[in-house]
Amino acid sequence: MTEYTGNPLLWVALVALVAAAVLISRQRRAARALRQQVQGLRDHYTELENDYGKSVQAAQERAEDETKTVLKSAMRTLQGLAAEQQLVLSRLQNKYGDSPLLQDLLEIDHTNSQFGRRAQSIAVLCDGWLGGRRDTASVYDVVRSAQGRIRHFRRVDILSQVDFGITSRAVEPVALALAELLDNATSYSSPDTVVEINIRTVPKGICVVVDDAGVGMSDEERARADKLLATERASGVAGLGNPPQFGFAVIGLLCERFGFEVSVDSSSPYGGVRAVVLLPHELLTAMPEKKAPAPAARGTARPVPDAGGPEAAALASSETGDGLPRRRRKRPMAIVPGSASAPRAAGRSDSEQAQVMGAFQRGTRSGRVTETAGPDGADRTSDTPGASSEGHEVS
Amino acid sequence: MTGQEGWQSEAPELVRPYVITKGRGLPDDGDLSLITLVTAAAGQPQRPSRLSPEEQSLLDLCSAGYLSVAEIAGHTQFPLGVVRILLASLMEGGHLMTRPPVARARLADKEILEEVLNGLRAKFG
Repeated sequence: MTEYTGNPLLWVALVALVAAAVLISRQRRAARALRQQVQGLRDHYTELENDYGKSVQAAQERAEDETKTVLKSAMRTLQGLAAEQQLVLSRLQNKYGDSPLLQDLLEIDHTNSQFGRRAQSIAVLCDGWLGGRRDTASVYDVVRSAQGRIRHFRRVDILSQVDFGITSRAVEPVALALAELLDNATSYSSPDTVVEINIRTVPKGICVVVDDAGVGMSDEERARADKLLATERASGVAGLGNPPQFGFAVIGLLCERFGFEVSVDSSSPYGGVRAVVLLPHELLTAMPEKKAPAPAARGTARPVPDAGGPEAAALASSETGDGLPRRRRKRPMAIVPGSASAPRAAGRSDSEQAQVMGAFQRGTRSGRVTETAGPDGADRTSDTPGASSEGHEVS
Repeated sequence: MTGQEGWQSEAPELVRPYVITKGRGLPDDGDLSLITLVTAAAGQPQRPSRLSPEEQSLLDLCSAGYLSVAEIAGHTQFPLGVVRILLASLMEGGHLMTRPPVARARLADKEILEEVLNGLRAKFG
């Protein structure tokens, strides 16, 4: 044993062993510290990453909101202008109704409607204004309104009608959604085919079925459409692609907001897409009485006052049933007295005119004094100034 | 024109006139002038259901007897040209028929008048 203890080699080996043990433990400790450090760094990194993601998202949302606000107010202006222009066009169409100019006015009207619809669609995507208030309208008229808002409206054929109206709140959204569907149907089918619309009553409400004879949708397009229509609502104008595809995004939002359903998952018997709009009972009313057969109602109502001349018309319609004054169209009145009296009045000054009128009045008064003045005569003179002032006010 | 201010606040019509005419063009002036007389075609008890409400009401108007195009336009709220387009399409479908306006009396021959005048002068003058 002692010979071993005397051996320096043993001591050397021992020292080396101890040193190695110390070294190993130190290394271990260092490794552990390093590992902890790495873990800490990793945590920090993920934290930073999360923060970064959050702030990017927040920035994105903020940017989106700002875009939305800007677009919303810009579209509102455009929508207002389009509506204003539509009124101007209506007036022009009435004014030049008998001239060949009417054809061009109708063309401009068509373009203007499309322009208005585009602005409306973007506004819908930005949670904006849908347009002015509408009266209750028949389903047929709403469908025709939608038809008028697309480029190839001549290719749309409405095959059936139902006796139902749409509540005033839902008129614009349904018309806009249908217009987007019709726009898709006409743009993705060949120009010589017809897009058919069938309106049917079903237990759940009313179905408007749009069939096109196009090429149909690919699986990818169908998936995108389903996503936008059913599960995931589009928000804002980002992600609509280039060129932007508004259609289904707009329809999806309108469906959610106004409570009707649109599906495009079946194919039409002509090989294209069959789109079905389901309008639930909440959006339906009875057929509007005044609005739908407007030409007939107004047409039969107007000849009666016309027959009795302008005075009779003024008397007949100056009061409503409640005794309140009724606002009347004054245009027909303007034509008759305006064209008759304007050239004569131009030749006289105001004072001369007054003199003439005064002389006339004195004459009638003296005439009534000398002859027997009955209550009839008094009544008629009290009527005449009323009627003439009516005419002057207008012209 | 104070009367027109009240109109501007009105919402534009829901169904625009070009949709009602289905985008058809104006008929020739000769075909349907203001004084052309129009009436519903006889022997059509079955009214086709595919007509628009506007066309239906025009047919109703014309079913009573002859009306001039100007009168018909006066009874609807549409511009005259729109009414003419609708009437033309109804005529095409055979639901309406027209009678051309009565021809204006031909002016008497100037020579005959002069002869009569000369004769009268010779007799009384």
